[in-house]
Amino acid sequence: MSQLARSEAADLIVRIARSQDRAAFVALFEHFAPRVKSYMLRCGAAQEAAEELAQEALLAVWRKADQYDPERSGASTWIFTIARNLRIDALRRERRPVIVEDPSDANEAEPAPDVLLASAQRDERLREAVTELPRDQAEVVRLAFFDDRTHVEIAGQLEVPLGTVKSRMRLALGRLRRLLEDQA
Amino acid sequence: MTIHHHPSDALLVDYASGAMRPAQALVLAAHVHACPRCRSHVRAAEAAGGALLEELAAAPMTPEALALAMARLDRPEPASPTAARPTGVAAPEDWIAVPDEVAAAVRRRRWVAPGVWVAQVFKSRPDEPLSYLLRVGGGMRMPQHTHQGTELTLVLKGAFVDESTRYEAGDLAEVDGEVEHSPHITAEGECVCLVASDRPLVVRGVIARAVQKLAGI
Repeated sequence: MSQLARSEAADLIVRIARSQDRAAFVALFEHFAPRVKSYMLRCGAAQEAAEELAQEALLAVWRKADQYDPERSGASTWIFTIARNLRIDALRRERRPVIVEDPSDANEAEPAPDVLLASAQRDERLREAVTELPRDQAEVVRLAFFDDRTHVEIAGQLEVPLGTVKSRMRLALGRLRRLLEDQA
Repeated sequence: MTIHHHPSDALLVDYASGAMRPAQALVLAAHVHACPRCRSHVRAAEAAGGALLEELAAAPMTPEALALAMARLDRPEPASPTAARPTGVAAPEDWIAVPDEVAAAVRRRRWVAPGVWVAQVFKSRPDEPLSYLLRVGGGMRMPQHTHQGTELTLVLKGAFVDESTRYEAGDLAEVDGEVEHSPHITAEGECVCLVASDRPLVVRGVIARAVQKLAGI
């Protein structure tokens, strides 16, 4: 199985948190490990390193499952942040400030099924929104996330003024933000 | 504390994507920690990362990958060689909350002129942006300077005014391009900032250049 049903991923993480469900891990691994590997390759990792980092990312999902809050972020968003942090550690090989966690992170109660469903639907809408971004906005967002480029570097690469890249980023992020706020 | 000046969305995306250099990420981390608005903006940017991850074509794992991962499930987590270690040094109580490594840098402060001290936060390569704490006494003017690239200044305590805009604790000033400016500190008292700056920082004036040399910035 490589394509997860839309509502499934968040539920799988919650099952790992609740009962160390190995079948849930297998399902998550089969879906996300190849995507995380692909992300690492895009960011410049060699084959072997990308494979190892994908392993590490999914093992971190297993270990940190109890920190996952479906109300706060979709499964793919949470796994992305884990992969990104591993990438920074591995590829930069230098000390870095930890990306701050939201202070409201505490994950007290077990999420209700409707929370999981809402989380999955929000993820689905985000995916649609990202694919529907105008080309120039999608381009700068992809360069930022997949090519490890800052907005200053993107402006240089595309040979457009810095202000143009900044406004594309603002439009793209504004769109996603409104979508998240509408469903909060 | 009401924060009025926030990083641009472009900076928040640099931060959320992980492309930002450590010196600047440190400044963003401190601001985001203090700012609920920017935390939610970072979350939106991370959601873009999540959506893009789903959209990527899968790169097949080797056949034994799953079995290897399963065998590692019950092993304890290896210590991260790059994780920040607690330093046990607390920042002064009248600063906004800062990451440990920023608080620890105060021990390295060097007085470089009357009323002015500088403390480099962590060593970075000469071609990388630099981050440092800068303390300037109340009513003083910072040396006139210009830089190529970006300068981020987060106010940890006190306030300064740049081109008639006032920046207070928690505010982040983002200057890019070759702006020449000379911010001044308000008369109420000292101002402490966390600064990340692309090099070279070009300081005008012989004395200011001597100060710069002394401060190692």
